[in-house]
Amino acid sequence: MLIRSGLLLVLAAAWPGGLAGETRVVRLVAERFAFVPSQVKVPAGTVVEFRITSEDTNHGFRLPQAGINAVVPKRGKGELKVTYRAERPGRYVFECSKPCGAGHNVMRGVLIVE
Amino acid sequence: MKTVVIAGWLVLLAGPATRGQAPPQPPPQKVEGLETRVGELEKQVEEMRARQGAESEAGESRLPFSGYMDFHFNKPRGEPGQLDFHRFVLLFGHSFSDRIKFWSELELEHALVEGREEKGELELEQAYLDFLLTPYLSFRGGILLAPVGLINERHEPPSFNGVERPFVDTVILPSTWFDSGVGVFGDLGGGFLYKFYLMSPLDATGFDAQEGVRGGRQKGFQSSFRNVAQTGRLEYRGLPRLTAGASFWRGHTGFNLPGINPRVRVAEVDGRYRVGRFDFRGQFAQVDISRAEELNRALQQENGVNPNVAERLRGFYWESAAGLFPRRWKHELVAFARYESFDTQNKMPAGFQPLKQFDRSAWVTGLTYYPEPDVALKFDYTFLRNASSVVRAVNSLNFGIGWWF
Repeated sequence: MLIRSGLLLVLAAAWPGGLAGETRVVRLVAERFAFVPSQVKVPAGTVVEFRITSEDTNHGFRLPQAGINAVVPKRGKGELKVTYRAERPGRYVFECSKPCGAGHNVMRGVLIVE
Repeated sequence: MKTVVIAGWLVLLAGPATRGQAPPQPPPQKVEGLETRVGELEKQVEEMRARQGAESEAGESRLPFSGYMDFHFNKPRGEPGQLDFHRFVLLFGHSFSDRIKFWSELELEHALVEGREEKGELELEQAYLDFLLTPYLSFRGGILLAPVGLINERHEPPSFNGVERPFVDTVILPSTWFDSGVGVFGDLGGGFLYKFYLMSPLDATGFDAQEGVRGGRQKGFQSSFRNVAQTGRLEYRGLPRLTAGASFWRGHTGFNLPGINPRVRVAEVDGRYRVGRFDFRGQFAQVDISRAEELNRALQQENGVNPNVAERLRGFYWESAAGLFPRRWKHELVAFARYESFDTQNKMPAGFQPLKQFDRSAWVTGLTYYPEPDVALKFDYTFLRNASSVVRAVNSLNFGIGWWF
C-alpha cells in the first residue's frame, strides 16, 4: 500500500500541475462572431470545465490542443460541456468550427494557462 | 487519462503490495528505475502531443458551407402586393490550415438575373483569405464587407427584426457594403476587437438625393483602387449579450470625375444589449460629402439631371423587442418596435434646396416568430413619414420568411 502511495507521490512530483488539479467551471457565451469572454486564464494543472451556450445559431467549439471539437447547441437548446486538463503553461486558441456567417473565421478566443 | 495510464504502468512495475506485513522499503535502485520510467513515459506523451499538433496543422478542413434565404411579401398601401425571393445566399469556406482560411458569400438577389434588364443581381459579397497570426493581429485580403454598423456584417435574416433591414442601414449606411480590400484585425483583450481595412473607394458618380452614397458602391467590379479608402471598427464584446461599436469610413470618391475629388467621411456608433426577455439596439450614422456643390454641377453637366447630393446625410434608430413566450417553450415569439429617422438631404451645399420628401422617419412594428432559432417568420407594418407637404410617404404591410443553415 505504501509503495503505491509512494509511487503516486513520485508521479505527482514528476507531472506538471500534480495529479489532482482544481476544477474550474468556465462559462462562455457564443454569439456571432465572438466567444464572451474571449480570454480565459487558469493556473497550470487546472481541470477546466467549459460550459458554453449560444445566443443565436449553433456554433462549434474547437480546442485543437485538447482534441476537442464539439457543437454548441442553438439558443435555448441547452449547453455544451467539455472538460480539459490544462497541464502545460501556454496560450491555446479555441475557435468556432461551424460556419456561422461573415465573421466565422475570426470567432476565436484564447485559453491562457499560467 | 494519460496520467491514469502512467499510474497503471507504475503499479504494474511495482507489483502487488503485500497485505498484513510491515511495508518493506523499496531499494534505492528501484525508485531510481521508476523515476527513469516516469520520465520516459512523459517524453512519449509529449511526442504524441507534438504529432497530434502537427497533424492538426497539416489537416485541411474542406468546404464547410452554409447559407441563408429571405422570402418577402411587400404590400405598399394603395399598390398591389409583391412576392419577392429577395435573397438566396450560399457561403463557402475552406481551411487550408489552422492559420490560413478562406471565406466567401455568393448572393442571388430577386431570384432572376437577366442581361441588360433591371432584374436581380448576382453578387460576390465576400471572398477573402484570412492569415490568422495571433489573436491580436491577423491579416485579410479579397472582397470584404466594410466593418460599418450593426447590420452590414451581421445580416442573416434571423438576426434582426423586421422583414426589411433598417432604413438607416440602407440609405445612410449602404448595406450590404462590400468591395475589394486588405486589412488587419484582432482581439485586443478585455473584450475589445478591432478591424482596419484599406478598401476600394465609393464612386461619386453614383450618389443621389434619395439613397445618398448607396449607388456609389463599386461592389468589387474592377474596382478602382485610386485614392484608397480607409475603414475601421472598434467593438466591445466584454460582457455577455452586449455589443457596442464605433466605426468609420473615409476616402476620396472622384476617380470617375475630371477635376473634382469629393471626400466622403462616414461616422457611426451602435449598440445592442439583451437583458432577460428584452433586446435593445440602436445606431447613429452620419455621412459627410465635401465639394457637393461642384459634384452636383458636374453630374448635371454629364447627365442633364441635378442629383441634388447633400453635404451631410444623417440617420439613427432605436429598437426595443421582447420575447413573449415562456422560456421553457421551444418556440419563440418576439414583439418589436423600431423608430427610425433618416435624412439624405440633412445639409445641402450652397445654392441647392433640400428635397423634403427625403427627410424621412418611420415606425416599424411587428412580430418575429421563431419555430426554431434559425428560422424566422416575420410580420411588420411600416408607418413611413416625410417632411414634404407635396410628396406623400407610403405605409406598407410586410411578411417575410428568413432562414439560416
